[in-house]
Amino acid sequence: MMIQKISVDRVLREAVATPYRDLVTRATGAAVRVGIEREMIAADCLTTLLDFSAVGLVDFSCADEVVAKLLLGQALPAGRHVVLWGVNEDHSEAIDHVLRRRDLAILVLDDGAGGLRVLGRLADDPAAAFGEVHRVGPLDSPALAAALAWSLERAASALDTLVILRLLRAEDSTYRPVPIA
Amino acid sequence: MTRIVEIPASLDDRSFEQFAESLAAGDPGATRPLFDARGVQWASPYGLVGLLTAGQAWQEARRERPLFTIPAHDDVARYWARAGFFLHAAELFELHGKVPKVKVDDHSDVLLGVTPVRASEDVHQVVGMIQERASRMLSDKLGLDAKATMGFAMALSEACQNIVEHAGTGGWVSVHAYSYRRRLGRRVVVIAVSDAGVGFRKSLEGEQARRYGDRWSDGAALEAAVIQGVSRFRDPGRGQGLAGIKRYLARWEGKLSIRSGTARIAIVPAWDEDVPLTDHLAYFPGSQLQVTIPASQVAE
Repeated sequence: MMIQKISVDRVLREAVATPYRDLVTRATGAAVRVGIEREMIAADCLTTLLDFSAVGLVDFSCADEVVAKLLLGQALPAGRHVVLWGVNEDHSEAIDHVLRRRDLAILVLDDGAGGLRVLGRLADDPAAAFGEVHRVGPLDSPALAAALAWSLERAASALDTLVILRLLRAEDSTYRPVPIA
Repeated sequence: MTRIVEIPASLDDRSFEQFAESLAAGDPGATRPLFDARGVQWASPYGLVGLLTAGQAWQEARRERPLFTIPAHDDVARYWARAGFFLHAAELFELHGKVPKVKVDDHSDVLLGVTPVRASEDVHQVVGMIQERASRMLSDKLGLDAKATMGFAMALSEACQNIVEHAGTGGWVSVHAYSYRRRLGRRVVVIAVSDAGVGFRKSLEGEQARRYGDRWSDGAALEAAVIQGVSRFRDPGRGQGLAGIKRYLARWEGKLSIRSGTARIAIVPAWDEDVPLTDHLAYFPGSQLQVTIPASQVAE
């Protein structure tokens, strides 16, 4: 299986056994993250879609525990990806804030034609490279260098940064968007 | 022996210092305090949770309940009862005077009556209870954008979590809306959180005291936490709570003030003239935080 979808709201209810839909407090965040990690390890998929659509409030502390620490944790080996889905503006703000503090970034899949966007800290070169890969499709370093009039080293560095941040997928010498379907 | 602790007629975050001075005066260890609220005519949520904190600190240290005379003015006593003050005060103080029998208010400017915060579940409950009412209050009565509601609940959540994460004991939270005409000329919503715990200085001491040397104090600890975003944890992801509150307040012209031990720090918006940092105050146990969100000028 390539794609796994996890309902964060369901994991929250299982983790804390309360009727509330809000992701608040570090203790709750840690419990939810452990639940998500357990499901990710069991499914071992290339991409995990975390569905926030039924989640109410996300506070900063909980966003740090759930999202930032998930990206830093052992349950996410190299080459595996996490994409957020169903995040509203308030969720985005909290998640973006905590990821920037740790120099991390994550993909968000918006409904409709929005496609993938990035939350967190992304320097100018990787941001431009990300845009180019999503505009033209899979490419290698020379193609990116030619498209953006960069040196080969600059293009390779930007693409490798995106792979390290799990925002692109590298196969041989080609860099591809993260699979989401 | 009993000694009288005077409570100002109007008890808010500023007049609170008179109360703290009265509490710290004399020989606090030797005499049982009598908190004299008979002359009180008004108290902000900060005042109410601060009173409970004083009672809690005394009880935890002495295993004895201090005395408390309830406000003589019936309207005041009824308001305190509706705000849930006496429910908790009865466990901490030996109450003297007639406590009005009224229901804790769910449909007034008391958005959240005095509520204990001891564990993560309490924060869930507080956030769950506040959202609908805060939404109504912030948009209908304060004229703020609907976006203000989520941020308000986040600020409340982070403020309460400071107790769970750092205090080492329980605390209290309350949220009221009221007219703040004397200083601002507008209505405000106020979050007040107070605990009788270790305070910022002790909480940060292990990580920060050596760096500051002789300058280490309650004020330095508050400055490190609130201005520099320092946490007692080495994890760089910590310290998000106060940073998040400040971010929210910057957007909605809000004010943050935190008192701990003998110092008080404030993030002061343009509409206020508070002092950014005050040292050498009378000692008061734990930490007290207040968030003030003003109505939009259009709404007023």
